[in-house]
Amino acid sequence: MTDPIITARGVDIFYDTKQAIHNIDLDILPNKVTAFIGPSGCGKSTFLRAINRMNDLIPSCRISGDMKIAGQDIYAPAVDVVALRAQVGMVFQKPNPFPKSIFENVAYGLKIHKITTSKTEMQDRVEWSLRSAGLWDEVADRLDDPGNSLSGGQQQRLCIARAIAIKPKVILMDEPCSALDPIATAVVEELIDNLRKDYTIVIVTHSMQQAARVSQRTAFFHLGSLVEYGETKSIFTNPTDERTQNYITGRIG
Amino acid sequence: MSVRTTLTAAAALLAIAAPAIARDQIQIVGSSTVFPFSTTVAERFGKSTDFKTPVVESTGSGGGLKLFCAGTGLDTPDITNASRRIKSSEVELCASNGVTEIVEATIGFDGIVLANSIEADQLNVSLRELFLALAKDVPNGDGGTMPNPYKMWNEVNADLPAVKIEVLGPPPTSGTRDAFAELAMEGGCKTFDWIKALKKEDKSAYKALCHTLREDGAYIEAGENDNLIVQKLQANPAAFGIFGYSFLEQNGDVVQGSVVNGVSAEFEEIAAGNYPIARSLFFYVKKSHVGEVPGIAEFLSEFTNEDTWGDEGYLADKGLIPLSAKEREAWAAKINGLSLLDM
Amino acid sequence: MIDLTKKAGFGLAGRHRAEKRFKWVGRSAIAISLMFLALMVGSITLTASGTLRQTQIAVQVDLGAENVDPTDPASASYGRLVKSGLRDMFPDVTSRREKKALYNLVSPEGSFEAAKLVAKDPDLLGSTQTLWLTASDDLDLYLRGKIDITLPQNQRQISDKEVVWINALQANNQLRRVANWNFLTGGDSREPEIAGILSALVGSLYSLAVCFALSFPIGIGAAIYLEEFAPANRLSDLIEVNINNLAAVPSIVFGLLGLSIFLGYMGLPRSSPLVGGMVLALMTLPTIIIAARAALRSVPPSFKEAALALGASPVQAVFHHVFPVAMPGMLTGAIIGMAQALGETAPLLMIGMVAFIVDIPDSILEPATALPVQIFLWADSPERAFTEKTAAAIIVLLIFLISMNLIAILLRRKLETRF
Repeated sequence: MTDPIITARGVDIFYDTKQAIHNIDLDILPNKVTAFIGPSGCGKSTFLRAINRMNDLIPSCRISGDMKIAGQDIYAPAVDVVALRAQVGMVFQKPNPFPKSIFENVAYGLKIHKITTSKTEMQDRVEWSLRSAGLWDEVADRLDDPGNSLSGGQQQRLCIARAIAIKPKVILMDEPCSALDPIATAVVEELIDNLRKDYTIVIVTHSMQQAARVSQRTAFFHLGSLVEYGETKSIFTNPTDERTQNYITGRIG
Repeated sequence: MSVRTTLTAAAALLAIAAPAIARDQIQIVGSSTVFPFSTTVAERFGKSTDFKTPVVESTGSGGGLKLFCAGTGLDTPDITNASRRIKSSEVELCASNGVTEIVEATIGFDGIVLANSIEADQLNVSLRELFLALAKDVPNGDGGTMPNPYKMWNEVNADLPAVKIEVLGPPPTSGTRDAFAELAMEGGCKTFDWIKALKKEDKSAYKALCHTLREDGAYIEAGENDNLIVQKLQANPAAFGIFGYSFLEQNGDVVQGSVVNGVSAEFEEIAAGNYPIARSLFFYVKKSHVGEVPGIAEFLSEFTNEDTWGDEGYLADKGLIPLSAKEREAWAAKINGLSLLDM
Repeated sequence: MIDLTKKAGFGLAGRHRAEKRFKWVGRSAIAISLMFLALMVGSITLTASGTLRQTQIAVQVDLGAENVDPTDPASASYGRLVKSGLRDMFPDVTSRREKKALYNLVSPEGSFEAAKLVAKDPDLLGSTQTLWLTASDDLDLYLRGKIDITLPQNQRQISDKEVVWINALQANNQLRRVANWNFLTGGDSREPEIAGILSALVGSLYSLAVCFALSFPIGIGAAIYLEEFAPANRLSDLIEVNINNLAAVPSIVFGLLGLSIFLGYMGLPRSSPLVGGMVLALMTLPTIIIAARAALRSVPPSFKEAALALGASPVQAVFHHVFPVAMPGMLTGAIIGMAQALGETAPLLMIGMVAFIVDIPDSILEPATALPVQIFLWADSPERAFTEKTAAAIIVLLIFLISMNLIAILLRRKLETRF
């Protein structure tokens, strides 16, 4: 088995005194799609956001335990959170392109991280990102149009293009399809499958069917604890824990 | 922010450089009564010479003298106008801040009129009656005082009209109010012998009795804007207003001045010294600034020119009552010679 | 059974009546306000219309070589020449009093105007010329019918003799009315016929420019810091409370501060637009900060989040994404602050800008006055003709305000990003 890229050991997350995540041990494998599933309020989004330290923006949120990416403790004082987020990208539930043009949206990450050195290099990279996101054919002739003039599904793919433009190692996706119609969802799911070759993807989803379609490994969360984690096929066909069984069959959740 | 640092640097530089920036404009402050005359001379001076037009502020006599006496630096005014003579306490204040060489100038007279709407009858009143109508406390006939009981003019004197006493006048911050209190109120007050005797015994009680105006609504403080008082008199023919002669002259088609002590409020009567409510107007100059700020000597010479303050001068057109020819000659010599104030 | 008609009960009749009543109350409130506005603007415009034109009088002035030296025309005594020109036009005026009244038909500015005309056109020299000079304010008022001739002579500004002369001048076409450009191009004056608004206008412009240059960057910067970067502790709360309180402080207090610190301690020149602008900036800062914070708060947090997740530093996230979206709201707050500053006189009083200033200021360090101050000073002057000038100045101030608001709206349109 390959070395995990993200390892969590004994992670607890608190909001003031309320404990949202209890003692999680988890390994995320590289170049695989890992799905986090579970009923509402089980803490899967909270745990996801701990991976790129987006919980730092919430003053009342505290984390303890060990969270390592590529062997480095991401909560160590020496870690530059900007560097972390440059290498761990995120796509949000509601598509949020910047109020700028399509080109500007994708190029923003390249600009602030000073990745490209010339204008042509930037244009090439933007084209490459949009192609990888499967959006190029639809927007090639209108790159200067505002990002929010696109449909919902296109906007989400734009956000994905924006995230991959800087070639992160990991892409975190927090319920990326919940605001999209079925056709757009299908397009994004196919995109995720294509991206898996070059990126590690962690996706939070409230749809078990989506998890079954898209992921190779699945983690089931319940009331802040990691109940079961393993190959997607075995979780869905042969769960070991009773709670997992109840969730999959629809008895709870 | 680099913008902020640039601005702080600029402000700091200005702070250091400012004292070095020499002032080439004469700065005048002081009385609002002298303001119209001072500004007219300033404007002519600026137009007919190469000097910049002096900047004239209307701060009130007291306020002006305070600024004037604050020091001798170029950040203090050169000249201050006053509608009353400088007090000894102000001379002391000046001296304590280094201002010892003050040149005094008397420029003419100003009449204070009691006016009413031209639609109503003209009032013929004496100072004594004016005092009885407007004072807070009046003699009670037994050698003491009582709160003013008179509500109508004919209660004070049966010859006066049967009209409610309603007078609009300046607020306590105004020099005109001080002058009215001193000339009209005190003038009527001391016609009572026992009050006159009181002056020698208890000066502060005398002043309190003679200068305090009634506060029961018959005397209304109508603000500093005399144009507003004129408008109010037009709207209310039963009311009277107290303001300077120049406003009477300019609005002669809607208001008329009352006859006081048998003398009407006319230019010639005030100039002759017959009209009882008239006061001198002054300005004071810092001798040390002459030469440091360009043009002061020339400004003084313009002011003391016959064409300016004489009987046919342009200040008379503005409503200034001129000094007598002899007095003008004497004062012109004193002012242009920069002779110092002698209290 | 289900009844869907109006008589179905449910208190419908009364409720519909209440709706109608409220609609009419609203409409009448708007109508009354508009009526008062129209009344106010209408009456001011009517009074101000007298300033549009000024009267000029044609004077025969002898500019021959014995009166004016052709090599140095500026040295001639034009006052004397104008006076003798008037005497020649009315040779039967002999007494001192009457001569003075005759000279007063021409504005005191007349002699200076004659000099300027000669300087502009030296060909006039050497002979007697007809010069059109500004007439006095009383003559102008009489021509427009504002002086009641039926009153006894001592109650009006124009004597019977003067009426005779004016009628004669009019009969000989020696009076004319021209557009009064002097109002917009000239500085203040004691003579209402030539008083102009330019020095006050330039003073206001300079003061507002200084105010904007200081208060906008500092105010926006403070708002961004307080809203986005300051830690949420007691100190931040204290600062916020203090800023809100400062917005309610009477403006004259800032004038006193300006007097003691800017004039007293820093020694900056009195009556200058620099100090005026600095005092106004102090006064406007709380307004700008409060409006800017509200604008920042109204930006959806999703942009900032997306930027941070992409690896932007906090400063980059705020300035690249939050600030541009909040900019239209910040500009609105700034314009409200500027409009407030434009109309203030109390703080300017303490620093010496409430003064009679004739010369147009060349820089922000020279003495200047402001538009509302000019209105206040003119309203206080005894000469009758100043009432029209005051009304005209109010119109200029209103136009200035409206222009500022228009610029703000245009800027907003341009900067507004659709999201």
